[in-house]
Amino acid sequence: MHRLAACFGLVLTLGISAPMAAHSHAAVIEVETAQAIRLHARYDTGAPMAHAQVIIYAPDAPTEVWGQGVADRDGRFEFIPDAIAGAWAVQMRQAGHGVTTSVEIGGAAPASLARAPAQTWTQRALMVALVAWGALGTGLYIRARKGGSDASA
Amino acid sequence: MHLPDGIVPVQMALAGYGGAGLLAAVALSRIKQMADPSAAIPRAAMLTTVFFAASLVAIPVPPASVHLVLAGLLGVMLGWFAVPAILVGLFLQAVLFGHGGLTTLGLNGLILGLPALLSFGIWQVGGTRWPDLAALCAGCGAVLAAVAIFAGLVLAGLPVALDPAAERAALQAFALAHIPLMLAEGVIVVAVLRVLRRAAPYLLSYG
Repeated sequence: MHRLAACFGLVLTLGISAPMAAHSHAAVIEVETAQAIRLHARYDTGAPMAHAQVIIYAPDAPTEVWGQGVADRDGRFEFIPDAIAGAWAVQMRQAGHGVTTSVEIGGAAPASLARAPAQTWTQRALMVALVAWGALGTGLYIRARKGGSDASA
Repeated sequence: MHLPDGIVPVQMALAGYGGAGLLAAVALSRIKQMADPSAAIPRAAMLTTVFFAASLVAIPVPPASVHLVLAGLLGVMLGWFAVPAILVGLFLQAVLFGHGGLTTLGLNGLILGLPALLSFGIWQVGGTRWPDLAALCAGCGAVLAAVAIFAGLVLAGLPVALDPAAERAALQAFALAHIPLMLAEGVIVVAVLRVLRRAAPYLLSYG
């Protein structure tokens, strides 16, 4: 009878203590919303800067690294800045190539990214043609002038 | 193969301007000693334009792409004129296309100017006896030298915050991607010089 009571007591103890042990390892999630900055780095050919290294500088200490990381295979990187208004500088680089851009964060205004507008192929072709015209024209002008001065001499 | 703004420390960029200024001074001094420097100006102007536009020609080398450099061709065709031609071309590329940068103009001038002079030297030594071999070595050697100088400068100016192992691995992939370009530029120099030797040998004043 005593043995039966002891077994019953052991089962009761385990039954009570097991949920308590599980409760001591429970996870807790605290949720808050935050404004994140999402960057996408590509080469001028359109290829992503896969696994590019990222360096972030906060506006209040532009010479000290605030944070760093690595972009994903598509050249994307996200970070949540501190509540410091101003221009956050972000550099994404790989093998000596890269770009530094600034993200303006301040007040109630949404974040704005400073970026240069992409050139079209027509614009590029026009610039090449203009430079070619200028370079060749200058060269031929010098040669023609030299030919004239030789003739006059 | 252009260092953009912000990639290297300011001190290194200033040193690059000093080095490029010295290189340009030596080149202009040698140009001044030529019998008729102005005779080469139209050719220099034409090749400056070719160099300027070459950066738009991307050669796909999976998973990346590389663009033409043509430092070897300029070195062989222009000799000492290659240095001012490359500096002018780099300035226009930085201002108009955003390739490279204004603060790194000096360093980029060294990255491409020194290999151009190396090619000039190779062509002067072997261009008469072994023109095709010398042209191939000049074209390939210029790309090889440019990649080596570029990688050396990047590693020398690497910020402490960056992972040097990751950057070295990326630079190795960058160098491997330039092997096809190296061969392509060697073939370009051989082809151009072959055509000029037959059609207009007077243009090869250094051959």
